[in-house]
Amino acid sequence: MADQTLPIGGALDITPQKATKQSFFEWLSEWFITVDHKKLGILYISYALVFMLVAGVEALMIRVQLAVPNNDFVSPQLYDRLFTMHGTTMVFLVGMPILFGFANYIVPLQIGARDMAYPRLNAFSFWLTAFGGLLLYYSFIGGFGLYGVGTAPDMGWFAYAPLTEKAFSPGHAPDYWAIALIISGWGTLGTAINIIATTISMRCKGMTLMRMPLFSWLMLVVSGLTLVTITPLTAAQIMLMIDRYLGGHFFDTQAGGSAVMWMHFFWIFGHPEVYVLVLPAFGIASEIIPVFSRKGIFGYAAMVAASVGIGFVSLGVWAHHMFTVGMSTPTTTFFVLSTMLVGIPTGIKIFNWLATIWGGKIVFATPMLFCLAFLFQFLIAGLTGIMLSAAPWDWQLHNSYFVVAHFHYVLVGAIVFNIFAAIYYWFPKATGKMLSETLGKWHFWLFLIGFHLTFDFMHIPGILGMPRHIYTYMPDRGWGIWNFIETIGAFVQAIAVLVFLYNVVISLMKGKEAGNDPWDAWTLEWATPSPPPAYNFATDPVVNSRRPLWDLKHPEDPDWKYE
Amino acid sequence: MPANTAWPIVLAFGCTLLLGGILLGEIISLLGVVLVLAGCIGWFRQVLPHENAEHVPVEVQPVEIETKRKTVQRFKLPGLHVEPGEIIPTSPLIAGLKGGIAGGIAMVIPVLIYGQIAHGSIWYGVNLLGGAGVADWQNVTPAQINAFHWQWLLIALVIHGVSSLLVGLIYGAMLPMLPSRPILLGGIALPLVWSGLEYASMGLINPALASHVSWPWFVVSQVAYGLVAGWIVSRDENFKRVRNMPFAIRVGLEAPGLMHENHQGEGH
Amino acid sequence: MATIPVVQNKYEEWRLPSRGASGMISLIIGETALFSMFVLAYIFYIGKSVSGPQPAQVLDIPVFMTICLWSSSLTIWIAERAIEHNRMKQFTFFWGLTIVLGGIFLGGTALEWHRLIYHDGLTISTNLFGTTFYSLVGLHASHVVVGLIMLTAVFIFTLTGHVQQKHAYNIKTLALYWHFVDAVWVVVFTVVYILGR
Repeated sequence: MADQTLPIGGALDITPQKATKQSFFEWLSEWFITVDHKKLGILYISYALVFMLVAGVEALMIRVQLAVPNNDFVSPQLYDRLFTMHGTTMVFLVGMPILFGFANYIVPLQIGARDMAYPRLNAFSFWLTAFGGLLLYYSFIGGFGLYGVGTAPDMGWFAYAPLTEKAFSPGHAPDYWAIALIISGWGTLGTAINIIATTISMRCKGMTLMRMPLFSWLMLVVSGLTLVTITPLTAAQIMLMIDRYLGGHFFDTQAGGSAVMWMHFFWIFGHPEVYVLVLPAFGIASEIIPVFSRKGIFGYAAMVAASVGIGFVSLGVWAHHMFTVGMSTPTTTFFVLSTMLVGIPTGIKIFNWLATIWGGKIVFATPMLFCLAFLFQFLIAGLTGIMLSAAPWDWQLHNSYFVVAHFHYVLVGAIVFNIFAAIYYWFPKATGKMLSETLGKWHFWLFLIGFHLTFDFMHIPGILGMPRHIYTYMPDRGWGIWNFIETIGAFVQAIAVLVFLYNVVISLMKGKEAGNDPWDAWTLEWATPSPPPAYNFATDPVVNSRRPLWDLKHPEDPDWKYE
Repeated sequence: MPANTAWPIVLAFGCTLLLGGILLGEIISLLGVVLVLAGCIGWFRQVLPHENAEHVPVEVQPVEIETKRKTVQRFKLPGLHVEPGEIIPTSPLIAGLKGGIAGGIAMVIPVLIYGQIAHGSIWYGVNLLGGAGVADWQNVTPAQINAFHWQWLLIALVIHGVSSLLVGLIYGAMLPMLPSRPILLGGIALPLVWSGLEYASMGLINPALASHVSWPWFVVSQVAYGLVAGWIVSRDENFKRVRNMPFAIRVGLEAPGLMHENHQGEGH
Repeated sequence: MATIPVVQNKYEEWRLPSRGASGMISLIIGETALFSMFVLAYIFYIGKSVSGPQPAQVLDIPVFMTICLWSSSLTIWIAERAIEHNRMKQFTFFWGLTIVLGGIFLGGTALEWHRLIYHDGLTISTNLFGTTFYSLVGLHASHVVVGLIMLTAVFIFTLTGHVQQKHAYNIKTLALYWHFVDAVWVVVFTVVYILGR
């Protein structure tokens, strides 16, 4: 009788005959020419995971260099390249692609669509991002290698002027950085446009905006935010290239240009970028926590409002990265207050997640473990954020390891934890196989321990005065022991990631069959076979509430009676 | 389904080479231009005149959607008695707006009285509000503050009007959530709280302005606003009904089970 | 289960915003952010050049080409209306006129730049004014060029008879981009030729 109310149809489960006869080459070429949102999503995620390993190795090299005082494990020149490339890679080639990859895979399934709004643009955007990343890494071998280690960018991921001007950075280091990011920026812009058009125009019947799953909602907000943040970065990078190649004077202080202008332009992009990365993580948590608490999300409307609120407020806080450049008191006060304002919507979110868990029948599966750790760590990251938003505190700790610890708490403690949660949660949907729970728990606990060893202790040398980007330090500073603990933690995290990779490989080969709906969840993606067929839904689904699968599973007590 | 196509990857590679040529040499850029042109044309022919699509065989098989967890618990809100078909009242926002307007008018009176008594000019308060943000207040003379400036009056009216309305709106939304005694809370406690906040921050944000403000009178005018706005909101019919609802309804919590069951059987 | 109301027919009137419009509007929002950075840079650097020539000495208000560009918004609007009502001749004429007007604008910019470079000696590397002027106006001009290429492609297909009434929707989406390019010129014109002089 289910089809009488909600025709969520079934799907293909016979594999087309030709698939078995495909040669390896045909199979491979299909990945290059595909326009299917699911394949592109997988491409995005695998691409990002590869770069996550690369940037992770860079991070390990940085940690080894800093483990003991007066170390010279790498040369100073290579060290500069390592931290620049680590930051740039993690933000542009790991964070954004992996989150947009999840969006690509999940959003059309969640809103009951057959594909993204523009499938070809989707492919184009992915390949732009991919080639941009490859061009960036070509800098290690391309160019004429100033110090025998290529001309990889070495000016920090924020590329402050005037260091990037022709006079101070000869060679091609800033050029590789700017051009590679302009190219991948176009790709990001295309994906953002695509996600907006998809969520606005492709929702299935009955899915009003206020019934859209929170992950899709968050991706809509993120894409809107991306539109107005990635283009300013592109603009600033075009200006930088005009300065470097056409003799312009945007950031040339001798000709009246302003280096502070670059800081403003970069952080107008750079701060909302943090929210571009963290909001999808919020979306992931908002999907996983209700399912594993066996309760509906608490305060859906407040969650949506808080997300949109964070999106808007985040556009007006950028200069809190610049308290030490000497802004006027009213400006400083404005940015202190606007930064503290972010605490309100994020506080609402944390409250709602806790209220969702409260009284629920919690299932401690691996995705839920990662999300619980996220809640705790994000709270701490938020608290150090409030500390740093107070200008006098920031004057003391600006660009110290305290700041590095703070933003890694957000980027790793919140975002990476939720990315792992999302992989454990949606891997069965994408592959039809469960990831091993035993290995998953090993992965979780090792990563948790490693994370806290590294980043909890990183706050201390920061307060003791250790600046970021520092190559090495004297033994008498009292930083040595903390840095040594951090390095141990970094290697524990690396082992955890290896466990995770082993888990992925072994589960792909002989994992447990997942079935359509292994987690007993409530959103539309679980109404398709695992993996879903090319067209997702054989008949267009119709939904009547925020939890369409709940309505089907509990026909005697459906959700739509209460909305 | 849209057919697979290689043109997007060609175009993307072309764009990369085109820009990458800046670093790698003009030949690369030239190759990029060729690829971009080829990619554009190829893509164009994919979409126009007809979108290139391929048919995927569809085998409809109903997907079993069921759960092992059959028992459902719903929260029951203690103290909520709503007749079937009765609509739960919402926050008295309109009354809040009215209260904001009335309070805004009431607030002006102490300001004008203070200006007249202490400085001999009713324009004193107006100029403080309207002039401080725009004029050079580093060396303003008392005569200037007491004179009439139509620009400053206009700015003061805009600032005063907008903030009165917004605070009124907050009153409409918030007073039902707070425990009883709307007059005491909205009329006196809240104005005292934000006066304290402004007292603490004004010296930082605008020291020139802070030095001209008489804080006792400032508090008097804020309390005048709060009393009038709070009184108007508390008289509203909607407000009286909302106040008798359970707390969860008053603060507008929206969560499965908390919400009132809709007996009409509508889907939303 | 008979108590569950059948709600299938409730969504027969299920209308969502079209994907062409939402995509194009998103693109325009992104482009607006791009332009606002260059406009901000221009405004910030007004009067900060340490050497000449200054804007007041070399810039003339380009009245004619501005009128041409803005009236092209009108002609493209008439063309949109024409194709909606299947008046193909009128469409072809006004679409062509739009291209001509856009071309005149581009020509005007070329002449202005030629005069600035060879007569007044202002290049992109001369001073801050040159840097910000050429990058802002050049960014706008490059958008005009992209717009003209797309308009011309449509024009050619109109002449060969491939564009028909059923494409009215795609035409409107494309026209939206052209309106955006014109609207940007309002800002650029105000900032460069009125505020900045």
